Amino acid sequence: MHKVFRLLVVVLALALMAAAGCGDDDDGGGGGGGEASGEPIKVGASLPLTGEFSEPGKAARQGYEVWEATVNAKGGLIDGRPVQMVIKDDQSNQNTVVADYNALISRDRVDLLLGTFSSLLNLPASAVAERNRMLYVEPAGGAPELFDRGFKYLFFAQQATADHQGDLWAEWVTNLPENERPKTAAYPTLDDPFARPALEGIEAILSDAGIKTVYRETYTIDNPNLDGIASALKARNPDVVVHGATFEDGVAFVRALRRANFTPDMLYQTSAPSFGDQYSGAIGKQTTEGIFYGVSHTKEATTPGNKAFVAKYREMFGGQEVPEDAADAYAAAQVLEAAVKAVGTIDRNRQIELADWLRENEVDTILGPLRWDDAGRPQGEFLVGQWQSGVPEIILPEAAATSDEIIPEWRPEGAG
Amino acid sequence: MTEFLQALILGLLIGGVYALLASGLTLIFGVMNVINIAHGAFLILAAFITWSLWRAIGLDPLAAIFALTPVMFAFGWLLYNATIRPIRRAPPAASVLLTFGLALFLEGIMGVIWGNTSHSVRPEYFAQSFEIGELFLPKAQVYGGLVAIVVLASLYLVLTRSWLGRAIRASAVNPQGAELVGVNAVSVAALTFAIGVASAGAGGAIASVLYPFLPGSHYQWIARLLGIIVLGGMGSLPGAVIGALCLGVAELMTVTYIGPEWATGVPYAFVFIVLLLRPQGILGTRLRQDVATA
Amino acid sequence: MTDGATTAVAEETLKGGGTPPSRAPSKTLRSPWTAVIALAILLVALFPVLSDDLYYQNMIILAMVFAVGAVGLNIITGYAGYISLGQGAFIGLGAYTVGICVSDIGGSPWVWVPVAGVLAGLVAAALGVVAMRARGHAFVILTIAFLFLVQLLATNWDELTNGTGGITLPIPTWSVDYQYWPFYYTLMGLLAVSLVLSWWIRRNKFGMGLVAIREDEDKAATVGVSTPTYKILAFVASAVFVGMAGGVYGYYISFIDPLGMFNILLSVQIILSLLLGGRDTLWGPVLGAFIIEWLNETSNQEFQGGNARLLIFGGLLVLVVMFLPRGIIPTANRWIEWWRTRGKAGLAGERLTGIDLRARAAPAREAAEPSGPPLLEVKGLEKRFGGVRAVDGASFAVPEGSITALIGPNGSGKTTVFNLIGGTMTPQAGEVWFDGQRIDGKPPWQRAHLGLGRTFQITRLFREMTVLENVVAPLQGFHPRLLGADAVSGREARRAEDLLEFVGMRKYRDVHASALSYGQQKLVELAQILMLDPKLIMLDEPAGGINPTLIERIGEMIRELNAQGKTFLIVEHNMPFVLGMCNPVLVLARGQTIASGTADEVQRDPQVLDAYLGEDFRLEEPARA
Repeated sequence: MHKVFRLLVVVLALALMAAAGCGDDDDGGGGGGGEASGEPIKVGASLPLTGEFSEPGKAARQGYEVWEATVNAKGGLIDGRPVQMVIKDDQSNQNTVVADYNALISRDRVDLLLGTFSSLLNLPASAVAERNRMLYVEPAGGAPELFDRGFKYLFFAQQATADHQGDLWAEWVTNLPENERPKTAAYPTLDDPFARPALEGIEAILSDAGIKTVYRETYTIDNPNLDGIASALKARNPDVVVHGATFEDGVAFVRALRRANFTPDMLYQTSAPSFGDQYSGAIGKQTTEGIFYGVSHTKEATTPGNKAFVAKYREMFGGQEVPEDAADAYAAAQVLEAAVKAVGTIDRNRQIELADWLRENEVDTILGPLRWDDAGRPQGEFLVGQWQSGVPEIILPEAAATSDEIIPEWRPEGAG
Repeated sequence: MTEFLQALILGLLIGGVYALLASGLTLIFGVMNVINIAHGAFLILAAFITWSLWRAIGLDPLAAIFALTPVMFAFGWLLYNATIRPIRRAPPAASVLLTFGLALFLEGIMGVIWGNTSHSVRPEYFAQSFEIGELFLPKAQVYGGLVAIVVLASLYLVLTRSWLGRAIRASAVNPQGAELVGVNAVSVAALTFAIGVASAGAGGAIASVLYPFLPGSHYQWIARLLGIIVLGGMGSLPGAVIGALCLGVAELMTVTYIGPEWATGVPYAFVFIVLLLRPQGILGTRLRQDVATA
Repeated sequence: MTDGATTAVAEETLKGGGTPPSRAPSKTLRSPWTAVIALAILLVALFPVLSDDLYYQNMIILAMVFAVGAVGLNIITGYAGYISLGQGAFIGLGAYTVGICVSDIGGSPWVWVPVAGVLAGLVAAALGVVAMRARGHAFVILTIAFLFLVQLLATNWDELTNGTGGITLPIPTWSVDYQYWPFYYTLMGLLAVSLVLSWWIRRNKFGMGLVAIREDEDKAATVGVSTPTYKILAFVASAVFVGMAGGVYGYYISFIDPLGMFNILLSVQIILSLLLGGRDTLWGPVLGAFIIEWLNETSNQEFQGGNARLLIFGGLLVLVVMFLPRGIIPTANRWIEWWRTRGKAGLAGERLTGIDLRARAAPAREAAEPSGPPLLEVKGLEKRFGGVRAVDGASFAVPEGSITALIGPNGSGKTTVFNLIGGTMTPQAGEVWFDGQRIDGKPPWQRAHLGLGRTFQITRLFREMTVLENVVAPLQGFHPRLLGADAVSGREARRAEDLLEFVGMRKYRDVHASALSYGQQKLVELAQILMLDPKLIMLDEPAGGINPTLIERIGEMIRELNAQGKTFLIVEHNMPFVLGMCNPVLVLARGQTIASGTADEVQRDPQVLDAYLGEDFRLEEPARA
């Protein structure tokens, strides 16, 4: 009796805790506006809504949902049929993502697929799509390995693969006048399939131009001994520090540099500085002055449709910030939309036609015009951003720039 | 040379915090022969609570220790009585699996409440340091190390000067004997577990300032702590302190001279080397059960 | 009293019921599960042909990967009792082997799957070598460290593994119409082979040795089981097919990276499958794997997140450990047994009567004369525990053919001397010679093979084994071929039954050792070491804690065996028992031999009287006589 009672208590307690936790997760999908009619076209995707990549995963879902609402408000995808997103959670787990895409294809019998978030998950998921001959446009998986497999149905809907993320900035550095050009560089990076290739790409360009590498080390998210790294950097005193980072370790790294009282001439970080107020709040507004970063999207961009997207996003989810990952997801859906509208089919047996169309055409998205090579690699260039007077600005390419000044150095003591 | 000294100092500072965290784990093992795999999860939980307090009311993480310790103590006491106590007569493997299950469950709970992204607590002094010539001593590390020493010292006082401390040590050496002289082994075990969890709470508050953390970080932490107590000798409190300082220094030396990506491996290397060369650790005799039971 | 009919029923009861199930997995096969299992196999085999549901196909494929993992884990955890939290590492190792070979050398992934198995086996053997030094908690820690270390290597060894970028494998080239069939049926084949291996191990000497290790590793060594060899082989056996399944899994997922392949949750899923299904059963791990994978996928599809996986796995692990420690199959078997035998329970009492007291006429004899050269010689033996000198230069000899007693007050170091002679402990100084060989450097099992058998002060039978299994467990030697021998061969069984007959325990042959009384355990332990056919039998307090009639019986047996040529060394506190039978008598005090001689000589020795605090010793004798 006692034992049974205890079992009940434990089960109840566990269930309560679990229920309390799960409460805040609402269902993905759901119909959008009611303007379109006819049987909905099902578009399936699995995203990491929980687990390690849950933050960007949730942002990506918002992006897909904004697109769903936008398309349906415009009268549907084709034949006046509305779109219905079917979104599953892969828990940031590779087994689950494979299971999810299999389920989307064979159980939910979706008409079209959209990709998941992060290279780690897109690698296995794209193989499922390829195997089932379904077009697979993915918003956030830039690792070069994805495109070395000769897939025919895979397309990446950002401007460039990860290894080219910093090309534009690196070229800008190498084109500086001789006396302003840095002589030495350091490359600490988080072990991450997006950050690392980005750094390798930058290092290749800088070292070709004669900028000597004095430090190149990788750390893991579990064990970011950033004080040790800062101390090592201080000892080597590089002119420029290129840091491959996600948000928290990016912030912690800047502060570790401050603690070690080491200020390189230039500081470039991946990802972290694109987090807007969150970033400046975490390291202090004045500390941001002059920090460079690579980014795919800004809410201020003048690309076609961007204003509408930003407005719709704010209407649906509130807040001032528009996550980059939501914009990327929206752009991926735009690519899919363009292909379907141009070819005029959602037939599961004719998806190769959609893929062929994408290979031959350029698509206008909120990230700018995108086009691809035969393997689905995008052929554009990432934007380069810089924090100036406490505000993130786009400085390169000139066509997209929001500020015509480029601060040549990091000024953590503040502007002026 | 500066680089070496810098690494040594940073290593010793972080080692002090490790010592506090490992002391709870080794205490629990010494008294009840339970390897508490959930220790890392407790400390991450404490770090998240510290983060929330800091976010909500701007409470300094080191001041949060005063709030956290009693809460974690109560949590530990309840958890012991609800889960570990009923299986205390089961084979030792049961408690390992049970605490492992608790760790996973806690990881899930934390993921639900705080999300699965990195968090860190950044008080004012987070980006500042004391400077001594070429060397820098980050204020967060210095304060953290000092608080860890204070908490450890009070733990040591409790263990040596109080009736509870004597009962705990008696239970560790000879549970049956302790029962004979009127020590209730079960309630001593519950209190020990609670003290262990409370020390993880204090350590978690400090750790929240030092490293960014996410729910999944507890694996790395438990690996570190296990490496420490294996090196120091399982069940030995002084051994845990020595092991912790060794690990702190070894990690920083690895970061400085080998590469930060290998720092994660230091505790695993400890485990393998110790088991091959000196299975009882520096100050312990209990690791090899064949020696203990034969 | 014991009329034929009653005994027959009692025996029946003892054989079939009243005891925990899961003696050998083969027994499970014959139970009501047979039909269920056959049906399940058929269903799984035909599923891909009957349904084109890729969702379930995927689920079964993953379940089979974990089932292979759990069946492998069962060999070290279920049979040998070693808990590993790092079993998932072998899935990752297998996947990486295939991935690296395909991308660096080329060829079809299928070709490399066997290589993956070999590599996993080699790594497991290496781990086994390290693990020889770790038991219990230390071993668990080691397996966690192993998993994380391998993950770290996969992350940092860029040239080989491409780090976190991972390795991509080509996607399958066969027609889409065949869906995932090749993966499906390959895994099914692997699962079948690993089940056969598991079954084969459990029914032969190898498995018996592993169970002996699980029940009592030190004891296993003293009855001749070469524990390190067994453990290393068990590690290899537990890893080979897991490595192969990992290779197939990697190909199936098509992408291999350190985070996914060495995720600790893979290990959790494997161990949870084993615990839930039932350790030390053939089908438990498979059942568990299917349930867990189904739960995992369903929760994922239904709940849509909420860190559900962690909550379910963690919560389930807690619940299983607390409330279902044996797992589904053993618990279900218990219920079935209970259902079948309810109402017959009253007969269990029958077994306590009529056997112990069966008198065997044996003429009382005088103490044997010491004769022959020393069979065992101990010179200057020393053993310290911290500052305590438990044995401090003990030296003595046991003449061949004698019944030698080793007496001494409590704490004089008698049991420690036994442990040093038997090899359970190593001395800091001194020599032990046995039958003309120096043995103090040899492991316990080799000493057993040389003809040294011992019992323990508190009996240490293998509690989950039957009496018969306990008696046939000892091994007189080691040979690879031996591992494959039937656990209980006909010849051995007959010999074991003879020995059980000799000690009067034959009727209990199928009872679990844990169900015996203390005195009965002593008798079985005696039969157990007789199975070794030892030259020297060392008994640690054979008369301790048992009734006078049984003491007399044991005394008779010792004399009878001695008459057949066995030499005895006996530690005992029961002075009449010792003095009436033993010659010479050795007296140990404070870790040193202070006297030796006949019983009379020793009794008169003032040093001995002093050591025993005089009066107690003299008072004891008339009281017992």
